[in-house]
Amino acid sequence: MKPIWRFLRGNGLTLAFGTGFVLALAGQAIAGHAEFNNHLIAEQLHPVSFGGYLLTSDFAVDVTENWQSEYLQFFLYIFGTVWLLQKGSPESKELDKAGLETDEEQKLGRYAKHDSPRWASAGGVRQAWYSRSLGILMCTLFVLSWLAQSVTGVAAYNEEHLRELQAPISWLQYLGAADFWNRTLQNWQSELLAVGSMAIFSVYLRQRGSPESKPVGSAHSSTGVEGG
Amino acid sequence: MRGVRTGALAAALLAALSGCGSVQEREDAAADTVLRFQENLRGPDTTRGCAQLAPGTRDELEQTAELPCPRALSDAGLPTAVDVRAVDVYGRQARVVTTRDTLFLSSFPGGWKITAAGCTERPEMPYQCLVKGG
Repeated sequence: MKPIWRFLRGNGLTLAFGTGFVLALAGQAIAGHAEFNNHLIAEQLHPVSFGGYLLTSDFAVDVTENWQSEYLQFFLYIFGTVWLLQKGSPESKELDKAGLETDEEQKLGRYAKHDSPRWASAGGVRQAWYSRSLGILMCTLFVLSWLAQSVTGVAAYNEEHLRELQAPISWLQYLGAADFWNRTLQNWQSELLAVGSMAIFSVYLRQRGSPESKPVGSAHSSTGVEGG
Repeated sequence: MRGVRTGALAAALLAALSGCGSVQEREDAAADTVLRFQENLRGPDTTRGCAQLAPGTRDELEQTAELPCPRALSDAGLPTAVDVRAVDVYGRQARVVTTRDTLFLSSFPGGWKITAAGCTERPEMPYQCLVKGG
């Protein structure tokens, strides 16, 4: 097999979703640009170029409000599944394994294997940090993208308000505004619905070959068993 | 050299994205537009003032007054002032508060144009304006 094909095969999941992300973002930009200009033209104002639209707070807030909820979803899922269980779900650990688990189960310290990441056996702060690095990264990305949503959101909100001959508001006022919480909560509810329904549907339904599903013949009661 | 170019490009992009790079310049330009507009209103011929109105605002003014713009603008009774007290610019829209008036502006290829003037604030509602677009 040629190296390029080996690379594509070994990284297909990341590459496919990365490509899908870029295409969807481009589609969002095209549709958002058209909608933004529709409003301007209807009010006999000057439309913006496509490049100009990509730099608007209107585009930025539409992007970041979705990013923050996705990273929140994964942070909550990663962190919540340490402690929360779902009987029969491949998304859950076995019912007696709630919590951080033992060093032996987690291959930490003297239980680390020869191919374990170096910080798994480092001890101290490095081991503690590395043990939580995935959750920390997701939480950090959530906080940063939510902050970006609030900053771009207040700019987009004020731009629209000025167009409608209304007074602008400050960033702190915007944090208590209906627009900020409507944007935030409409994304949170959909993410929580998706995670909750995935956890319970996967108890009873199967997707042959998917590691997100139990093997097709697994009992509904078997928990923490992934296929693939 | 390539590093410097990349750094400059990144800085320009960051400035553009954050909207910080030229905010002061845009605020100054909006304030200048309003001061020129008010100067044009004080003269006998308001033709130049009409040229500073956004197309929708000019159309609405002429239709409402059933007069050509210069006459309608003179008759509108807009307050004039010489000092700007506050300027807010968000994206392509701006609000300029002078000592006697509040005006709204929008960005056009030739610079800022006035979309509303003679505006009075109302709680929880849009400003009430003597001159505005449809």
